[in-house]
Amino acid sequence: MLFNSLEFACFFPIVVAVYFLLPQRWRVYLLLAASCYFYMAFIPVYILILAVTILIDYVAGIYLERVQESARKPLLLASIVSTCCVLFIFKYFGFFTGSFVATAGFFGLHLSRPAVSIILPIGLSFHTFQSLSYVIEVYRRRQRAEKNFIVYATYVMFFPQLVAGPIERPQNLLHQFWEHHAFNLEDVAEGLKRMAWGFFKKLVIADRLALYVNDVYSAPRNCNGLQLTIATFFFAYQIYCDFSGYSDIAIGTARVLGFRLMENFDTPYHSLSVSEFWHRWHISLSTWFKDYLYIPLGGSRVSQGRHLLNLMITFTVSGLWHGANWTYVVWGGLNGGYLICGLYTRPWRDRLFRAAGIEDGSAVRKLTMLSSTFVLTCVAWIVFRARNIGDAIYVFTHLASGWNVHGITTEQFWLRQFPVAFASILALEIGQYLDRGKHLKTTVARLPISARWAIYATCVMTVIMFGIYKKMQFIYFQF
Amino acid sequence: MSQSATAQAAPQSVDSSPGERVASTAPESAQSSHPKLTAFESVARLCGFFVILVALIFLTNAMITSGLRRIRTSEVGALNQVMQGKVNAQIVITGSSRALAHFDPRLLEQATGYTAYNIGRNGSQTDMQVAFLRAYLEHNQKPKIVIHSLDAFSFVTSREVFEQVQYTPYLSDPALYSALWKVNPDIWKSRDLPLYGYVVEDMNFAWTQGVRGFFGWSPRQDFFLGFNPRSKEWSEDFERFRELRPHGVEFAIEKAGIQDVEDLITLCRQNGIQLIFVYSPEYREVQKITTNRDAIFSEFRELSAQYQVPFWDYSDWSHAGDRSYFQNSQHLNARGAEAFSNDLAGQLRSYISSSEARSDAGQSAARPTLPFAQKGSN
Repeated sequence: MLFNSLEFACFFPIVVAVYFLLPQRWRVYLLLAASCYFYMAFIPVYILILAVTILIDYVAGIYLERVQESARKPLLLASIVSTCCVLFIFKYFGFFTGSFVATAGFFGLHLSRPAVSIILPIGLSFHTFQSLSYVIEVYRRRQRAEKNFIVYATYVMFFPQLVAGPIERPQNLLHQFWEHHAFNLEDVAEGLKRMAWGFFKKLVIADRLALYVNDVYSAPRNCNGLQLTIATFFFAYQIYCDFSGYSDIAIGTARVLGFRLMENFDTPYHSLSVSEFWHRWHISLSTWFKDYLYIPLGGSRVSQGRHLLNLMITFTVSGLWHGANWTYVVWGGLNGGYLICGLYTRPWRDRLFRAAGIEDGSAVRKLTMLSSTFVLTCVAWIVFRARNIGDAIYVFTHLASGWNVHGITTEQFWLRQFPVAFASILALEIGQYLDRGKHLKTTVARLPISARWAIYATCVMTVIMFGIYKKMQFIYFQF
Repeated sequence: MSQSATAQAAPQSVDSSPGERVASTAPESAQSSHPKLTAFESVARLCGFFVILVALIFLTNAMITSGLRRIRTSEVGALNQVMQGKVNAQIVITGSSRALAHFDPRLLEQATGYTAYNIGRNGSQTDMQVAFLRAYLEHNQKPKIVIHSLDAFSFVTSREVFEQVQYTPYLSDPALYSALWKVNPDIWKSRDLPLYGYVVEDMNFAWTQGVRGFFGWSPRQDFFLGFNPRSKEWSEDFERFRELRPHGVEFAIEKAGIQDVEDLITLCRQNGIQLIFVYSPEYREVQKITTNRDAIFSEFRELSAQYQVPFWDYSDWSHAGDRSYFQNSQHLNARGAEAFSNDLAGQLRSYISSSEARSDAGQSAARPTLPFAQKGSN
């Protein structure tokens, strides 16, 4: 079920009403049933895959606490391997066999690809990682194994964050299913406001920009340089608003029910370096890779060469996590490369700024760093969005050529869409700027109720009137 | 804004059930905008807000509908004229965008002395065209002649309602609604859910026209008695189209599509309206790449003969090979439309004269004639 659907508009109020009417002991059952229904709205039978993952890690968690010390590591590995097997079969089987066949063909061996076509279960990478996180935390003794199967299943399947995160850690979420969440107007109002902000990002910005981006990136060779540049700029905002919009809706939905999910984005395009960007973009995944891959590999407390290797491994795997395509691998590698370059060119950049008379912390320096970080990110997004490496190279090489101001529209994106697109991006930036010190919230909270309601109603009406409702899936669902 | 997920694990015991262990979470904000309210008061306040919101949605919907209905010019204005029964023409032209852009009623009026109006619809198939004619007849006096513009795709049924938003203000009209429902069973959402038809089914802000229309605004007039001439010159669309389809293009001849044309014939007969089929000019080169053109035209001729409906084929129009008369392979530009309409007007004038002559000579029993006795009357 999509958040931006009529079905969800009916589903959610019913779940909330029943949730608060039910006695506490039954609520977790309701959440599990609702989550199953939510997930089965996509492809019902795929819930069995989820059930397998849940069962494996539930049993593994319990036995990790019971078995002898010597058996714990093999048990953890068995659990990780079997959980990852599910991910591999459904997500990477076609990619790896295809790559293998292509490589064999390069060496003159003509093999045929297995005639298996598997539809990727929605959000598989998210709930797999959430499950893995639980088992690893139990292994590390930072989390007690959950004995109640219903609670554990609800932890993995909790519908607000089931298909696109945030990828929660058991320490943050699991205990909340044991807590009593009384009906609280503060939570409900904050949750609804957060949902509205998420819908603004998704419906008004992301889905409108998607019309342009899809037209251009589906046939980049038919577009001029200006269209390619605009589409790349739009994609940067599309993917941010799509994904952070989903996170906002997920966090808001959970908040209405009394749950607190972790923040997943922190205005990443306001970052002054690529390194900072990765601390503010998809935080739940970045920290997951940091905690469960980068640090176990040795992190930065190793030799310089090994440190670079650790960075590259982490980012390449992160790229592969996003999708079974070489474009994602290259995108991950590119970001790893950015980080390494950033690390080793810092003294030179400092010297350069000083030579130019630009002080540390000055507005000019900040603006330069912010812009360069944004441009580098956009360059990486080109690889991410392109259908294949060939298209990505074409876009790179034609960004600056054949600009035609009169030819910027596309089949779906007419001239009249541009003012709305740019105005909504501006509104997003202003909203984020005002939200930084929570001044906006405080100011609005002090207003009389009539003024507050007028503001809220205007915001909701803006989303309704300027939204795009083409049943576009959230981009990150495919991961 | 960022918070890391570093909350410590809560103490747990195995035997208790969810919710029995930990106290409820307290509101985080000290500067709460909500004074301490009981659960009932909280729910009442939420309901109050949503009631206001829903009322606002209904009001906005009503304002847009009213505004769109008030517009007198351009495409919306032409639709309003039809749906509000303000046309009452003696000659009505039906069809797709080719009808809309090719048939100039002003020239037909000049030539015949009868009032004329073009109700062609952009992106419509025969089923929608029949439905719209039905709606026209529901609200206006019956015309004497219906000129139906045929297309190569006349026997293809609608897969979707093109620019559905244009019909949203009139979905309460049973004839129009039932026709649209056949093409799109989900159309009820546009009729019954406020704003759905304006914001969900349309991405191009047609609703802004409604809001402006409510305050008296009208768009620039580019529809003349329903006719929408196109001032554009020949584009490269056709070359691209041909490149993409090296093996030509084929239009389906669906049984349901033939039935739609027969429905049109029946509708006109039941209302005593003389129907004339016209295949208006298309660029000559496109005729060569339509692989089943002969089969389509054979079907046109068969229907024409079977139901004794005149069929005027302008495939071999004298300017059919001249790009300066076309906007693209399917559509004449304003210059082409004027030339074609003049030619058609001449043929129509002759036809009316001969029909009237036959009528005067009392031959009406032998052959179908125009269902009117006196020129200019309605």
